[in-house]
Amino acid sequence: MAFAGVKEFLQPGSGREAVDLLAKLGDRAVVLGGGTFLHGLAARGVLGEVDTFIDLQKAGFSLVKSERSGLAIGATTTFTELAEAEPVRTSLELGAVRDALQYPPPQIRNMATVGGCVASATPLFDLPVAFMALDGSVKALGPRATRDIGLHKFYLDYFEHVLERTELLTEVLLPKLPSGSASAFLKLETNANDLALLNVAVRVTLDESGTCREVRVVVGGGVGKVPVRAVSCEDVLKGQRPTPALLQESGDVVSLDIHPVDDHRASAKYRTAVAKVYVRRALQRALTRLGASLDGHNGQES
Amino acid sequence: MKQIIHLDINGEAQDIAVEPYHTLLQVLRDELGLIGAKKGCDTGGCGCCTVLVNGKAVYSCMVFAMTAQGKTITTVEGLADGATLDPVQQAFIEAGAVQCGYCTCGMIMSAKAYLSSDGSHLPGDLEMRQAIAGNLCRCTGYQKIVDAIRLAASRRMETSAKG
Repeated sequence: MAFAGVKEFLQPGSGREAVDLLAKLGDRAVVLGGGTFLHGLAARGVLGEVDTFIDLQKAGFSLVKSERSGLAIGATTTFTELAEAEPVRTSLELGAVRDALQYPPPQIRNMATVGGCVASATPLFDLPVAFMALDGSVKALGPRATRDIGLHKFYLDYFEHVLERTELLTEVLLPKLPSGSASAFLKLETNANDLALLNVAVRVTLDESGTCREVRVVVGGGVGKVPVRAVSCEDVLKGQRPTPALLQESGDVVSLDIHPVDDHRASAKYRTAVAKVYVRRALQRALTRLGASLDGHNGQES
Repeated sequence: MKQIIHLDINGEAQDIAVEPYHTLLQVLRDELGLIGAKKGCDTGGCGCCTVLVNGKAVYSCMVFAMTAQGKTITTVEGLADGATLDPVQQAFIEAGAVQCGYCTCGMIMSAKAYLSSDGSHLPGDLEMRQAIAGNLCRCTGYQKIVDAIRLAASRRMETSAKG
């Protein structure tokens, strides 16, 4: 039995209490958000010698708050709760989050938590890629202080991030973006429960003349140990008025930034080919959300 | 070490001794004999263990029993009203939406959650297929299952129209 070594199930009533437990228990404890990823890890024998679960459901982190600075998402907010939050349902700039939340099946959306998804440090997950395209950051609570860490600096390797063992991810922060911003997300998968073979999130900010002032392109799902920011794709568009030819060029140069894995699920060559198309399509989707007219583009996504 | 927890399952309060690592599926099947929810992949990939927690579909193989305290749990055994089947169960029978039957209870629970939460319109095929996207049928009998959900949805509309 995968978890037979677990002797205690603790449900701290606050983040502070959870951090104290982490300090006391060290590597013997694993923190639970929704717990949906844990079973897969245990089944593969990679969970380690854990004897205590620290479940965060009662720690008070299930909330979505619109603040002047942006959107604050509590760590134990489920995918369903996030999808139902008004800004996520309606905002152009959060389109990538909305898109990403549509892929998992209802059973996962109802259980999986935002904090668990981010803190699992799996480059095959969807929401972190969307959050990175929005310049998201996380709030970490430690024994002595709280710190904010940009997601672009958060991930180190497969299942590794910069948090100390005694730190707890309590919140994801998505900054308010300038007007004229929209984002989009696309995922290649074989079924609804599949981890991404490839996923792409983009964010575009246009000024009043339709010129691209800011752009982010982030690619995940088997293209590196952590999600990759595709700066080459961004450079093609920055300072330009988007055209179908520029979107094509932006997609084509993604191969300069990613180093896809070659595995039983997809070859590196296939992942690269799809990445080129998905970057272009995601940019089209974000620009369509902004109502941008692309010369020679009929507004249909292809 | 086992400890006693209190669960609300199909409207009945239950006191059960569980290990901290026991899943809701283990408790339902092994402790309570509620074997409608099936053990399939046991890692949240196939959907045959689907039950409702506070009305929402979840994989019971992924829910630790300890976290289900204070929540309302509904299994397929709790759908019928005495001898009268739930409209979703009835629709599955009439549409012939069962082949080997292993996925059926999970499919019914996903369909139940979907039809309970989503308005009074007649859903399109894509919408219904998305509702059962987390459930696998190894017999590939999806079309009859979608037919059953459509039948249940249309009856729901007729019932609500009659007021």
